[in-house]
Amino acid sequence: MKIRALGLLGTVAAVCLVLLTLQIRGHAAGASDVLAVLTTPVQSLLSRVNRTTVGVWSTYREWKNVRAENARLREEAQRLRVEALRVTEITEENQRLRRLLALKRAMPLATLSGEVIAREWGGWVRSLTVNRGRADRVARLTTVIGPDGLIGRVVDVRPGASIVQVLTDPASAVGAHVVRTRTTGIVEGEPRGTLRFKYMARDGSGIQVGDLVVTSGSGGLAPRGIPVGRVVSIDDRGSALFNYAQVAPVVDFARIDEVLLIVGEGAHDVAGLFPDGGS
Amino acid sequence: MRTFIVLAVFGGGMAHATLGQALRIADVAPDIPLIVVVLLALRRGPEFGCGAGFIAGILQDAASGGLLGVQALTKAIIGFTIGAVGGRLRVSQPLVQVPGLVLLTIAEGLARFTLLKLFRFPAPFGDLMTYVVLPQALYNGFLGAALVLALTWAESVRERTS
Repeated sequence: MKIRALGLLGTVAAVCLVLLTLQIRGHAAGASDVLAVLTTPVQSLLSRVNRTTVGVWSTYREWKNVRAENARLREEAQRLRVEALRVTEITEENQRLRRLLALKRAMPLATLSGEVIAREWGGWVRSLTVNRGRADRVARLTTVIGPDGLIGRVVDVRPGASIVQVLTDPASAVGAHVVRTRTTGIVEGEPRGTLRFKYMARDGSGIQVGDLVVTSGSGGLAPRGIPVGRVVSIDDRGSALFNYAQVAPVVDFARIDEVLLIVGEGAHDVAGLFPDGGS
Repeated sequence: MRTFIVLAVFGGGMAHATLGQALRIADVAPDIPLIVVVLLALRRGPEFGCGAGFIAGILQDAASGGLLGVQALTKAIIGFTIGAVGGRLRVSQPLVQVPGLVLLTIAEGLARFTLLKLFRFPAPFGDLMTYVVLPQALYNGFLGAALVLALTWAESVRERTS
């Protein structure tokens, strides 16, 4: 065994030394050629494996890089999206406040701006809580408006807040008239969150879908001319004493964040101050 | 058995060709065929070590375009020596594996340099040892130890499952 191993080593050493000597003396072309016949296919194979492996490895690394970059870009996109939302939110708030400020400045009556801090939106009660209360000298039944129109009135005043009964509250009622026909009536809230305009039928009122309904100022609770809603359907009951119209509020109560409380007194027509021009 | 040795040697060559570049650290690449030859020699004895060293070396010589037979001879000697004395070494210890492979790489480097010097190779000894042989020896030491550990772990897993 040992002799065989030594013999193998000796043979290998002899072959190598002969190969080296031949190469140095310039006679190795033949040996190189013979070896090339054996090694070239192996080298080709190795090279192919190398290329494939390196290719797969590079692809994997690129994929990992792309994945990492993808994750980074996703994170950045998310951050930018949040930033954009924040900017949009601020812009929208800015616009809302500008409109409210413009309305406050134009209003002939003293007003107090307030922020909505809570909402009660069940079918039984529909109200907003505003951060103005007894300390701000807010009185019960104070009219509350927004840049688009009437929101409701204060029904409860607390030390630091007021509860505003929204127009669509089932217990809410406000004197109103249709701008185009001057048909007077009462706008009442309904449990399903809509408004109903109840008016005298004998007028031959001629109310149409799309007509604007504004506050009439009767009863002195709200100034005249504040937009309330638009007629969406008419319930014509023929010769009955009252006819009804479904009215869609001009204010989106779910999206109200800032309000104006009309704290000043006096009979004024404020129709020209609203975009709908509720005159 | 022959198939195994061919696959192992070619596998080493392939690993050298494929992983050599990927494993390069600061321009130092490990000598994977040498590690494979050492591992084979430890398991199969001097004859296999010698044969595997010769084949792996001649493939490397042919691939590198240098003098045919230099690495074939040095690796054959390394394979033979390790195959002959490996049984007396506690090669399962990393404290033996790392310095062992470092020393073997240095020995192979010295043998290669001597052989090339005999055939009028002009490279300076100091630079060759400092910048080529020693860094590669260290790299081989750690990579070889990692390979031995991996093989031991794979074998223990195989034994447990069978």
